[in-house]
Amino acid sequence: MKRTYLEVWGDTVDGRHLLYSILIGVGLGTPAYLLAAWLFGQAEGIDQTLSKSYALLVGLAACVLTGVVSARLFPPKRILVEADDEPGSRDVAMDSIEQEFGPLGDPDELPAAVLREVKELGIYEDLARQHAKNAAKEVTR
Amino acid sequence: MEFLDAALWAVGMALIGAIAFGLLGLVSGTDETATIAPITLLVILLGVPPAGVFAFFMAAIASKHITHAIPTTLLGIPGDTMAAPLLQDAQMLRELGVPHIALRKAISGGVIAALIAVPLAVLFALVLTPFADAISAVAPWLFLAAAALVAVLSKGRWAALFALVPFVLLVVGLQTFATGVLDKGLTIAFFLGIATGPLIADLFLASSPAGRKLIGRAEQRTFELARDTRTWKGRMPNPLTVLDRKQLGYTATAASISSATFVFSPVAMTVLMGELFGARFKNGYHRLTSRMAIRNGTTESTYIAETLIPLIAIGLPLSPMAASVANPLFNAPPVYTIDAEAGTSNNLHDLLEPWQFLVFGLVAVVIAVLISYPFAMTQAHRAAKWVMRKVSHEAIIGAFAALIVVICLYEGGIVALLVALTVGLVGGMLNRMFNMHTGVQFMGFYVAALTVPAIMALFA
Repeated sequence: MKRTYLEVWGDTVDGRHLLYSILIGVGLGTPAYLLAAWLFGQAEGIDQTLSKSYALLVGLAACVLTGVVSARLFPPKRILVEADDEPGSRDVAMDSIEQEFGPLGDPDELPAAVLREVKELGIYEDLARQHAKNAAKEVTR
Repeated sequence: MEFLDAALWAVGMALIGAIAFGLLGLVSGTDETATIAPITLLVILLGVPPAGVFAFFMAAIASKHITHAIPTTLLGIPGDTMAAPLLQDAQMLRELGVPHIALRKAISGGVIAALIAVPLAVLFALVLTPFADAISAVAPWLFLAAAALVAVLSKGRWAALFALVPFVLLVVGLQTFATGVLDKGLTIAFFLGIATGPLIADLFLASSPAGRKLIGRAEQRTFELARDTRTWKGRMPNPLTVLDRKQLGYTATAASISSATFVFSPVAMTVLMGELFGARFKNGYHRLTSRMAIRNGTTESTYIAETLIPLIAIGLPLSPMAASVANPLFNAPPVYTIDAEAGTSNNLHDLLEPWQFLVFGLVAVVIAVLISYPFAMTQAHRAAKWVMRKVSHEAIIGAFAALIVVICLYEGGIVALLVALTVGLVGGMLNRMFNMHTGVQFMGFYVAALTVPAIMALFA
């Protein structure tokens, strides 16, 4: 059977793994806090409000720890692609950006410092070509 | 001697805050209210002196708003709530194949704005101090107006505005219930509920067959990470050379303006400043990169000013920021208290002088900048890759769920937990269905706490 995922809070997860992670987190974090609260409450010479804060500190540490445990048990369900600049791949991107945002503009009108930045990034030619394309469209219209 | 003692506490706590929250900024979705507020509360309850508490907080917000740009620009997932307005521009620069430029512009703008905002906010606070009583008197209505404004300006528009009514009533009802059972009101439970509402709503959807259809995905989500390139010479990057002169000028102007307008939602200000000053850049590429600097600068300046001005001038949490993330600095019983009926306070407002806010604030921000800025500029790519490869979303959610339970039990036992769950589910659904974002809901909480009693008093 093909595996399916759930999109929760902006990323994809495996439903079963998510359930286990929450059970591990809540199942270990809560007793850690309650136990610490009880122990610090028993200890003499610690102020009552302060003992609760110490317990909270223990509880928070336990939460982080459960996160580490779950991270070791369950691998991420996301695909990471390391992009390489392929020639031509920027054309599609520039078109879609201009649809959403408006024209990217003529790189030659940029102030000197920005022009240098654009050239160092290696996107000067792409921006210039895109601008020329748009200018040509204006003329034919 | 006394000053030396306070200064040592400030430096030490600022170091801790800057490192802890600089790292936390890398973890996407770690909402400021859900993380900075409870941990600041902890620092207060542990008995750290006022200078240390203040420096810890300032370093935490400055540092987090530098590193939050890393997941936002490199991965396209907002680092936290304040990073959300940066997302669209960051996405476009990512498609253009230059996410590292988006990142470097954003955090360089953040550094400049943070350093400007501290002295300016102290100055504005001193100007406002004579009017503190008048401001406190109109505060309930100010909050009502601000809530309405933030709601209408949000993506939810009129729906968000009208949904405020049932939401405020829900908060009033739950607060009455909690007070009846516990003999004290709840604060953190509400904040946690609102902040993690989208997560709680998603978890409910995940546990119902109909909901699973809505959020089910056949494929894993793909994140694209661009190659790393270095665009400055020498070892240490300098924000003054990463931004050009026009970008520096407008980032500084936006920071100055947003330092004075402390009653508005930081998210709304961030969007507004980006639109307002971004429009001054004619070239499209220039406008995109400049908006990154201006917007991220505004996330720093609004956070700093909205904390400092109410803290110095008024002593009541009279800004959206002071009402949420910075709330423990005003109200952390039994250490810092506000007596609403008598209108008196015993919190950082009373414990520190304006010059101390200035000195310790600057010290904290400088420490945060020195730690987080070089780190973000040089290590961003490696850190982002490590998190994406090694840390599953399940683990983050599991730890977060545990965090909610523990903090709620700490504040008010089972009752607090139930309140957080209720507010989270309702708020999360309102967010999902009507785009009533968490900023509007936070304002709703304060309308329930401040404006509703004032309205009742009118009819009494």
